[in-house]
Amino acid sequence: MARKNRAQKPNKEILSRTLILMVVCGVFSFVVLGCRLYIIQIRDHAIYQSGAIEQQVRETTINASRGTIYDRNMNVLAQSATVETVYISPAEMIQYEEDKSMIASGLSEILGVEYDEIMKKWEDTESWYKTVAVKIEQELAYEVRAFKNEHDLKSVHIVEDTKRYYPYSNLASQIIGFVGTENTGLEGLEAKYNSELQGVNGRIVRATTATGTDMLYTQYEDYYDATDGNSLVLTLDSTIQYFLEKNLEQAIADYDIKNGGIAIAMEVDTGAILGMATSPGYDLNNYLEISDPEVKSQLEKLTESEYEDAISEALAEQWRNRAITDTYEPGSTFKIITLATALDSGAVDGTEDFYCGSSIDVLGRDDPVHCWDSDGHGSQTLTQATQHSCNVAFVRIAERIGAERFWDYLEAFGFFDITGIDMNGESGAIWWSQEVFEDPLNQSQLAAASFGQTFNITPLQMITAVSTVANGGNLMQPYVVQQILNQDGSVKEDIEPTVVRQVISEDTSKQVCEILEQVVSGEEGTGKNAYVAGYRIAGKTGTSEKVGQNSDDYMVSFVGFAPADDPQIAVLVILDSPSSESGIYISGGVMAAPVVGNIFADALPYLGVDTVYTDEEQQNIDISVPNVKSLTSSEAIAELEESGFSVRTVGTGETVTDQLPMANVRVAVGTEVIIYLGESKPNDTVVVPELTGLTYTDAREELESCGLFVAYSGVMPSSSTIVVSRQSVNAGNEVARGTVIEVTLVDSDTSIMETR
Amino acid sequence: MAELYRVPKSDAEENRRIRDYREEESSRGSMDLPFLMLTILLLGIGLIMVLSASFASAYYESGNPTQYFTRQFIFSIAGVACMLAAARLPIGFYRRIAMPLLIASIALLLAVPVIGVDSGGAKRWIWIGFTTFQPSEIAKIAEILAFASMICVYKEKMSTFRYGVLPFGIVTAVIVGLLLLEPHISASIVIIGIAAIMMFAGGTKLKWFGIAAVIIAALGTLVITQFSYASSRISTWLDPFSDTQDTGWQIIQSLYSIGSGGLLGLGLGQSRQKYLYLPEEHNDFIFAVICEELGFIGAMLILALFAMLIIRGYWLALHCRNRFGSLVITGITSLLAMQVFINVGVVTNLLPCTGIALPFFSYGGTALVIQLAEMGIILGISRDISTKKAG
Repeated sequence: MARKNRAQKPNKEILSRTLILMVVCGVFSFVVLGCRLYIIQIRDHAIYQSGAIEQQVRETTINASRGTIYDRNMNVLAQSATVETVYISPAEMIQYEEDKSMIASGLSEILGVEYDEIMKKWEDTESWYKTVAVKIEQELAYEVRAFKNEHDLKSVHIVEDTKRYYPYSNLASQIIGFVGTENTGLEGLEAKYNSELQGVNGRIVRATTATGTDMLYTQYEDYYDATDGNSLVLTLDSTIQYFLEKNLEQAIADYDIKNGGIAIAMEVDTGAILGMATSPGYDLNNYLEISDPEVKSQLEKLTESEYEDAISEALAEQWRNRAITDTYEPGSTFKIITLATALDSGAVDGTEDFYCGSSIDVLGRDDPVHCWDSDGHGSQTLTQATQHSCNVAFVRIAERIGAERFWDYLEAFGFFDITGIDMNGESGAIWWSQEVFEDPLNQSQLAAASFGQTFNITPLQMITAVSTVANGGNLMQPYVVQQILNQDGSVKEDIEPTVVRQVISEDTSKQVCEILEQVVSGEEGTGKNAYVAGYRIAGKTGTSEKVGQNSDDYMVSFVGFAPADDPQIAVLVILDSPSSESGIYISGGVMAAPVVGNIFADALPYLGVDTVYTDEEQQNIDISVPNVKSLTSSEAIAELEESGFSVRTVGTGETVTDQLPMANVRVAVGTEVIIYLGESKPNDTVVVPELTGLTYTDAREELESCGLFVAYSGVMPSSSTIVVSRQSVNAGNEVARGTVIEVTLVDSDTSIMETR
Repeated sequence: MAELYRVPKSDAEENRRIRDYREEESSRGSMDLPFLMLTILLLGIGLIMVLSASFASAYYESGNPTQYFTRQFIFSIAGVACMLAAARLPIGFYRRIAMPLLIASIALLLAVPVIGVDSGGAKRWIWIGFTTFQPSEIAKIAEILAFASMICVYKEKMSTFRYGVLPFGIVTAVIVGLLLLEPHISASIVIIGIAAIMMFAGGTKLKWFGIAAVIIAALGTLVITQFSYASSRISTWLDPFSDTQDTGWQIIQSLYSIGSGGLLGLGLGQSRQKYLYLPEEHNDFIFAVICEELGFIGAMLILALFAMLIIRGYWLALHCRNRFGSLVITGITSLLAMQVFINVGVVTNLLPCTGIALPFFSYGGTALVIQLAEMGIILGISRDISTKKAG
């Protein structure tokens, strides 16, 4: 058959049709495929490649370590430490058929997380990532790791993370702020300088199989290092900050302050913030906890629905840095500005007489402006008018300045702008319009402004303006960060003090400083209670009604600076709404001035400011008891008497075997020191008597009769109006015989209580 | 050939048979070397690509990364043996077995629903002791041989409907009907395609193709509009990103592979898509891995090898002095071309997704053996082409 068919050749039609097939199947179809490949591989290459890479690549984040925040002495205020996060992967649990209940009970035991909670997380079997515990300590993570290794678990993962620690907890809480879960600053400097502190997270990019495991042999891995954050060095001094907070809290407790308080300490020459406190603060390590126990107990009474809103409001309230976000009526403290303006503009030269007949008519006002002293201050010099905080006199001064000039100075002092401090949330002031203020037919605004009323400024604006007056006339831009450090500790950026403008002349500045010193040190000064022996302190009191709110409430404040002859540090203390129930007269002079005085008493020695005592002070100063042990009795008596003590002997021996008070304890001059000659010192305890309200001399006698000693702080015990406002050990407590009780003295003379 | 060792009826008869065979053998030329070399080259590259493409999935499935490669290698040796054996058989043998083979393959297709192996909702395979095979593969070659034989018998009558269309149509309808029972759409398409090409080459009037095209278009439209399965296939084809599951996923992964290859590719063995992203990566979608690893240049080179093999096949058909042989070569070459075109077309989303293997490359033992045996048939026929003329 084969041979027979060999003759049958393909006919012409078959050949021509085969040729067509050859062209179509052998050439044309491949040209089509080639074009198609060209489109996918060359033209649209990038599109498909990015799609492929997106699905092939898994990214692992390497957390950048957040920068540290230091105070000006390189004490750590905020620091990041490595912690770990434990998560489970339900998808891998399914894939590797691991025992979910065993894992859940194991993790629950180590981490203290509810067993049921973990079991619930397993249910989402599609998921690769379910967090079980975040930011756990490394010791705990070590246990989890051991558990994971023991059972060779593939669905339990531990990753490094960082946690923010605040070693001082509550200190400067509103300044420092805190960091949220994503290593992002949410409040305070943590938020403001987040971009510096945060650093840049690193990434490990690797190609994986569709099931998420590493590819075989095909090593595709890119490592992008994490760049750690930069560190901040603040102008803040944690010691001064502590002094501010301690004294502020004490005042709030003593005077039963309802709405907390604000204190700022500023370096006058540079505008650097040494301390800034809003009380109550909160624990930065636990920022979601309401720190004020009173607020907390009130919140707990609320129903669940109310609670949610109320707690976020309460939290926002405690996080707020009121020193820059809130505005207040400065009251008489603002007379510093009026005074400086008057002297600098030449409106007054200090030789004028400012008569106060207890009230003055003002153009545009229906009722006259009254002075707080209903008898009137009579004839006063400029210094006396300031000492008296006489409103009538200051209205006269403002009239001499004139509204237009006064407005220009207000602007120059920076009251119409924000200060530009490197913090978030700074508020601006609230003023009348220039037109209203300068209305020639209505001077009521000018008059009220002269004694700091009917407008609102921030505490920071106030202290910045006062620093301007104190430092020779330069308005400084306040700042809290003085240096930014690279992650290796080298300096990235030094922030220099910025002079905004010169507002008043150096001579004016000197004059004002002298007058303000008289407010504190002068016999007629309303700021006497800010006095600290050995230091020259200048300042001004202020008391203002909280307008438009509860009309019974006041803002009492004191702003001072020291030393008056070469100012270094300015301190402003504002107490918001003292309770009338405390029985203490509500005024800046009585309440805020002692707080500033105490702050200066703490801060000035710390800053190394030399003490210079006047003769009068010298006589009243506390002195330290010399060591007279093992001396003969006559030697001991001679030495003690020379130091200014009186002596009482107990026993009949020749040499001193013991003494009370102990050596080197500071006590008041003239204290009776007991020396024991052979006889042993009694070891009993005595009950501390109530001293509040007693004069210094009475308090001392009272204590000595109990076998206790006295030392004092605050105003000099120079007159009978000066009484004990506080004692270091409360009445009723038992202390060892011979203990020194420190008393704080204030001048209770109503003649220093200005208007309210 | 087993006949040769049968107990001889007589010495004389035996001697005559041996003499005939030897005479015939000696009168035949040698196999077409270019066609053989292209086949071996594609087979070799195919093996390497199976190794590369299957490496990852084999590792993750069984821990033995070379398991697919080893099997494919063994089958390719068997396939080459079959190819050489097929090349030795005389052309008359194929013409003799054409009709019996067709009947046998129809019988096998009838048996598939009964003894077939179920896989993924379709019964397409028969288990033959050590491996499975698809009777549809046999049906394809049987169809080619039978149609070539029929064309040689009908000769000029091919231009009539009664001879040129009807018998071919009936056979095709029977085979396709059986394939649709499995169901096996891609094989049906190939069977219809082969039928069309054989009839076209054999001399069927062109108007019948026109009429058939209209009927198929009408049927196709009906199927697409009436069956949601088919219409979703089409919409996935038009926009694979509209369906990121199942077929859409497959096509997207394929496009990602091909596209990320770029001009030069990621390098042999460097495919990332084969790491469990791309389904069927050593099977129907092996060409996507080729594109990813070898780039546009590598993929075009492989397509060029295919094109050269196919053109050489048609060239042999054109030079074959035997009508039956010429038609068989045209049929087998067209079958090869169709499979390459559909496979690459599907992988590049030029055509809607349907499962069809890439000859010499896709993993699959029996398919490879049959593929090589078909090449052997062409090589056998090529021996009868006068070398002088063949040049």
